[in-house]
Amino acid sequence: MAQAPGREPAAAQSAAEHVASLAESGRCSEALPALAKEAAPLKDKDLQRRMYLDGARCATLLERWGQLLDFVRALNRRFPDDPDVLYASIHAYSDLSSQAARELAQTAPTSIPALEMDAEVNEMQGRWDRAEQDYQKILQKNPRYPGIHFRLARLLLSKPNPAPDFQEQAKKELQEELEIDPSNAGAEYISGELARQTKDLPAAVEYFTRATKLDPTFGNAYLGLGMSLLAEKDYEAAIAPFETAVKLQPGNPAAHYGLATAYARTGHKEAAEREFALQQQAAQRQNVQEGANSQ
Amino acid sequence: MSRFAAACLSLSRRTFLRTLCGAAGIATLGRYGEAALAGSSYPFVQVPAASSGITWVHTAGKSPQKYLPETTGAGCAFLDYDNDGWMDIYLVNSGKCDFYKPNPPLRNALYRNNRDGTFTDVTEKAGVSAGGFGQGVAVGDYDGNGFPDIYVTQYGRSILYHNNGDGTFTDVTEKAGLAAPGWSSSAVWFDYDNDGRLDLFVCQFVEFSKAKNLPCFTYNNKPGYCIPRYYKPTPSWLFHNNGDGTFTDVSKSSGIAQHLGKAWGAVAADFNNDGRMDLFVSNDTAPNFLFMNRGNGRYEEIAALAGVAFSDTGRARSGMGVDAADVNQDGWVDLFVANIDHERYSLYQNNHDETFDDQAETTGIGAATRLMSGWGLKFFDYDNDGNLDLFVVNGNPDDQIQTIEKDVTYREPMLLFHGDGRTLRNVSAESGPLFSRDLSGRGLAIGDFDNDGAVDVLVSVNDAAPLLLRNTAAGGNHWLGIRLVGRKSNRDAVGARVTWQAGDLRRSRMKVGGGSYLSSHDPRMVLGIGNRTRIDWIEVRWPEPGGETERFTAPPIDKYITIVEGQGIQSA
Repeated sequence: MAQAPGREPAAAQSAAEHVASLAESGRCSEALPALAKEAAPLKDKDLQRRMYLDGARCATLLERWGQLLDFVRALNRRFPDDPDVLYASIHAYSDLSSQAARELAQTAPTSIPALEMDAEVNEMQGRWDRAEQDYQKILQKNPRYPGIHFRLARLLLSKPNPAPDFQEQAKKELQEELEIDPSNAGAEYISGELARQTKDLPAAVEYFTRATKLDPTFGNAYLGLGMSLLAEKDYEAAIAPFETAVKLQPGNPAAHYGLATAYARTGHKEAAEREFALQQQAAQRQNVQEGANSQ
Repeated sequence: MSRFAAACLSLSRRTFLRTLCGAAGIATLGRYGEAALAGSSYPFVQVPAASSGITWVHTAGKSPQKYLPETTGAGCAFLDYDNDGWMDIYLVNSGKCDFYKPNPPLRNALYRNNRDGTFTDVTEKAGVSAGGFGQGVAVGDYDGNGFPDIYVTQYGRSILYHNNGDGTFTDVTEKAGLAAPGWSSSAVWFDYDNDGRLDLFVCQFVEFSKAKNLPCFTYNNKPGYCIPRYYKPTPSWLFHNNGDGTFTDVSKSSGIAQHLGKAWGAVAADFNNDGRMDLFVSNDTAPNFLFMNRGNGRYEEIAALAGVAFSDTGRARSGMGVDAADVNQDGWVDLFVANIDHERYSLYQNNHDETFDDQAETTGIGAATRLMSGWGLKFFDYDNDGNLDLFVVNGNPDDQIQTIEKDVTYREPMLLFHGDGRTLRNVSAESGPLFSRDLSGRGLAIGDFDNDGAVDVLVSVNDAAPLLLRNTAAGGNHWLGIRLVGRKSNRDAVGARVTWQAGDLRRSRMKVGGGSYLSSHDPRMVLGIGNRTRIDWIEVRWPEPGGETERFTAPPIDKYITIVEGQGIQSA
């Protein structure tokens, strides 16, 4: 590793320790300019990690968002699996996100992106009516703004205690979205799911097929297509989309289960059993993950 | 890729799917008559304990340690223990075990039907009080002496009570070899090897003991019942009836024991119409089992290949109550499984090739059961129109569930689905206040306790009194009740298929073994014919080794008859 020009390693270490001490005693204004410079060439990895973490904390404290991003990137590049680094990264990106949101709200509070952001926050917090109002405001500004009818449909399908005709309303929104943006694979996908749930299987197959053509990496669309074909008892035709789904989503038990079923019902018993085994492994991993998340 | 595909992908499948569907004998009524008939525009009315005399109450034995068996019991049964033609009632209670020492001791209860709508507690005289930590009950005449015997499943050690035919029973568990140590849940009497004797399948839940009880906590750090996923699975039992009062454990040789499960419900039926009785077993947080009987005492487990092991998302659900019946009258037995909240229940339609398709969504069962946790359930024709209906008892096992899932409740209402011969429709909302009353329902048994041809319902409730529900829906429709007595085939005729023709109505029904949850049913079959006034004929195809089909022309209606294999109608 290259050394700082004109300085002995011991001296470099000593200078770095001094900068770190400054940062850790709260003197971030003094420490911040030197933290990155002194940390980069260090051979002592523990000290280096400590200085980058100090840097991230100081940059946050002083609201130096660009520098914060630099420190976090450096940490993740040099110490990729370190729990402290990952924890610091969570906070850093959260702070960066909050800061960007504040800037958006302050600089362009009535802009469409600001309304989109507000709507997303309202959706996440379960304030469905306020989210809907945000989306309607966007449509007042630009009735053909892409994505908004799709989001309205998604909102209708997500909110608790929906109106009796919520599925019909959602379908209508999705159709409007597709008129505005025929390339919206998500709208095709949800239309497919709605059709599948109401057992309009030919329509479901059409929607899902279009979704896969629009977005060949859309695993859930292949999954929906496979499931619709299974429900139509077209087991041979279901194999291909399920095979694609398991390639795109190898950890999804539903994809393996669908493929296993399609194989089983077309006489490919060995292949079916292999996929059932993969399905159970994937389900087990999900169980473990859910167990960990619920603790 | 569209910018919104990612947004769509971020919507979890569970969230998305969850949001998509959402969504005769009036003279014999006796003391209970007034109460039962009040508000009889609804299909079922509760018979109060003050009228029926059934004052026994289930005690769960709930503790701060939250031992799982506390929340899972218990079962109930309709049986005619004294062979007087009137359905008596058996109720299972918790009791002494390694984690529970009730003082005073708890006991099960046997109530004799007084034939006037009232019941008398005869438990002590009959000698069937049990006393262990009871779970379920299965009734069958295993020795063919004409009197039904009682098998009580318990956590710890189960009990076989042999019916002495004089109003008393003898505990013959040790001699019979049916203790089935472990945590036994549902049990089913049926003849798996077609030798004309009833064998016994006993579900085992998980490896559990006081020492193995796991501490589980809710989000607010209160002790809660653990999800069964955290306990180890265990094999169930299959016992062969030797015909001399003893049984042989054939769990291993039959192939049953090589499959570890967490079994709650079981039903025996012939799913592939090959004349051999298969077994469906629901497992909780483990794949369900479909054991196909391949003959020579061997079973093959094919649930995954058959499409009944998992949800369509490839996840094992929390299977609890089960039943089997030919719902759509295509000649092939279909399946129903109740699961836990957010999993929806399953109606598996038989494809005639050892595969099934879940029709829960098309029938509305999926939407109706989205938040429910189902236990006791049974297909039967409650209005005698000739079509099978479905009654389901619900209740979440976790008494802290409301702190975890805001839209799920601990106590839940029962559900009633009306059949039209092809599909089912949820009629709970129009079936009166009984179906909006929240319960910790567990077991469910069907039986016509007042012999009016309208099949009644008994519901066992965790830590509460049972509900006896009198059926008021079948008035005006005609029916024939039949009791089948096997001679070559097993005495209870489990596995028999009955077909009847009444004018334009032709229906067929298999007498399955078990079904529901921890419970046992009136062994008689009631054949509804709607407003038709004549049955042209009935056919009985007896199970093997009899296997004969007998036809009876123009049988009587609106009464019970007994048909003895090879000897015709014996009594009317």
